[in-house]
Amino acid sequence: MITISSLSKQFVSGRGHVAALSDISFSVEHGRGVILAGRSGSGKTTLLNCIGTLETPDSGSIICNGTDICGLNARQRALFRRREVSFVFQSGNLLPWLTVAENLQLPLELNAITGADQLYRIEELLDTFGLAGYEKAMPAELSGGEAQRIAFARAIAHTPSILLADEPTASLDSDNGRQLIELMFSLCHTKGMCLLIATHDQELLGMAETVIALKDGKLLPPAPAPIG
Amino acid sequence: MRFAFILKIATLILLRSWRTTAVLSFMVITAVAALVFLSALAVGTNDAMIRNSTGLFSGHISGSGISEDEAARLQVAGVEQVLLRRQQPVILSSSSSLEAVSLLGIDPLQEQTATAFWKKTVQGRYPATGSQEIYLSQESAKRLKLQVGDNVTLRTHQSVALKQLTVSGIYKTGISQLDQGLAFCPATALPPGGQELSVALFLSAEAPIDEVLSTLRTRLPTASFTPWMEFMPDLKQLIDLDYICMAIVIVLVFAIVSVGISCTFLIFTLKNLREHGIMKAMGFMAGDTALLLVSQVSLLTVFAATVGTLLGMLTVAIFAQVGIDIGAFTSHNQYFSVSGMLYPRLTRLALFTPPLVAMVFGLAAAIWPIVTIIRKNPADILRSV
Ligand SMILES: Nc1ncnc2c1ncn2[C@@H]1O[C@H](COP(=O)(O)OP(=O)(O)O)[C@@H](O)[C@H]1O
Ligand SMILES: [Mg+2]
Repeated sequence: MITISSLSKQFVSGRGHVAALSDISFSVEHGRGVILAGRSGSGKTTLLNCIGTLETPDSGSIICNGTDICGLNARQRALFRRREVSFVFQSGNLLPWLTVAENLQLPLELNAITGADQLYRIEELLDTFGLAGYEKAMPAELSGGEAQRIAFARAIAHTPSILLADEPTASLDSDNGRQLIELMFSLCHTKGMCLLIATHDQELLGMAETVIALKDGKLLPPAPAPIG
Repeated sequence: MRFAFILKIATLILLRSWRTTAVLSFMVITAVAALVFLSALAVGTNDAMIRNSTGLFSGHISGSGISEDEAARLQVAGVEQVLLRRQQPVILSSSSSLEAVSLLGIDPLQEQTATAFWKKTVQGRYPATGSQEIYLSQESAKRLKLQVGDNVTLRTHQSVALKQLTVSGIYKTGISQLDQGLAFCPATALPPGGQELSVALFLSAEAPIDEVLSTLRTRLPTASFTPWMEFMPDLKQLIDLDYICMAIVIVLVFAIVSVGISCTFLIFTLKNLREHGIMKAMGFMAGDTALLLVSQVSLLTVFAATVGTLLGMLTVAIFAQVGIDIGAFTSHNQYFSVSGMLYPRLTRLALFTPPLVAMVFGLAAAIWPIVTIIRKNPADILRSV
């Protein structure tokens, strides 16, 4: 479970002080998928980066599985990213000099999952994602949809507790995008992961159990929950 | 993370970005090959100077205070040839003049195989074995107004005539110690009288002169031996200077090459900046990133230094066969008095210094890219690239 309270983050840039996030509070339970909606510049990436410890907030707290990750040092943050959290970015997720199988191997190696266990997991992942036979393919040889699916597979290979997807469908056509989001929701549900997907695509909003809307770094009041 | 896996990624990055790898390797290969060759050339130049200087007359070690029957014991390991020379001070007199010289009684055949002195003949020829002939320097011949075929009378310092010898040849070496106050004749042609025995020892090219010396000194404790470094200190200094210059060149070349590697490697890693950001987001720690980059540079330099060394060895082997003629630049140089041919030779130092320096500088070249990548915030990387 992720509990975010009074999270704020400012950037100093050519435009002066920009409040990327101001006083954000919400929580996500395991097995739940949340869509972070909002226009470009609304603070979605900053929020995901704070949860993923790539960015440190100015104030507020983020409690993940009982620890406030805002208080971790650099080494602890790296370990947190290694074990607990995975990212899927808009594009260019895969390391171009590694084959599909080697890319999948990376998070497993980082988490000391080796040997037969590793091989089994890679095979299982490729099966689940309908990409059996792609082991030796290089990322450059994949289509955009395939590459994003592999990136997603890599993100969940070591079963982290949190998956953060920043505009994962932005470089895909709408069919492929929908398929990917559906796959993400269903797998997170079965694996009990917290899933946060940031998107500016209005079409995808209907697919989520929960939508959190951001505007200029502030949380918009939730839309009334459908009855039933 | 397992080191083996980092090494695997490093290898794959190098192999699958082979164009960049080739460019980076090319720099190191060329530098190492060139420096192996240059080092071998420096050794070869020093060899040539020693060979020329000792091979003309003196040998590598000169000995005195040795009796005739002790001479056989000078044949120790590393000694190729032992020349016995009997020295007798005499006055040479012709019809027009007198000249005091040290007359050296030699074995003409042995001298001609071990030394290049006979090549310095400007007129006539070297004295023949068993003959009553004398071999004069051009300066002495001029002062005595003698030609080849003329007779010269040998006198004691009290002007007592001892015997007559015929001038067989006239030489000129260009080295004043040899061109003044010396004359040669077969040992059998020496007049009776007080002779002093001296020996010249010629060593093989790789013989360790210090070891040979200490063997000789323990074998013949009463004799005195002097290595060429002591009777030719100028040459010794010149050779030391040569090595210092070589060391400076090696360091300078690699300083330049390493700046090149560093810049290229930085561009290479910055080109992969996004990938480094992704890896950081996946939980790569500073140490992992550093290890990955160090592995890349190490693999690259080990490979390139090996290829470069082999290439250098090949070049040295070729030129060691054909030789390099620098005679046009050395004809008036006393250190090249016999021949201007250089034969590059690999010593352990000449062979291993360039690749070792390449590795050290290669690692130094990795520091800048490593620090740059480690200090970058992954969020900034992923946002901007
Ligand atoms: N590193 C940064 N430096 C300066 N401004 C930043 C930085 N990161 C984000 N911002 C600003 O913060 C705001 C939120 O950005 P972001 O989180 O990327 O929004 P989104 O992902 O919703 O498009 C924007 O106005 C952006 O310009
Ligand atoms: Mg964004």
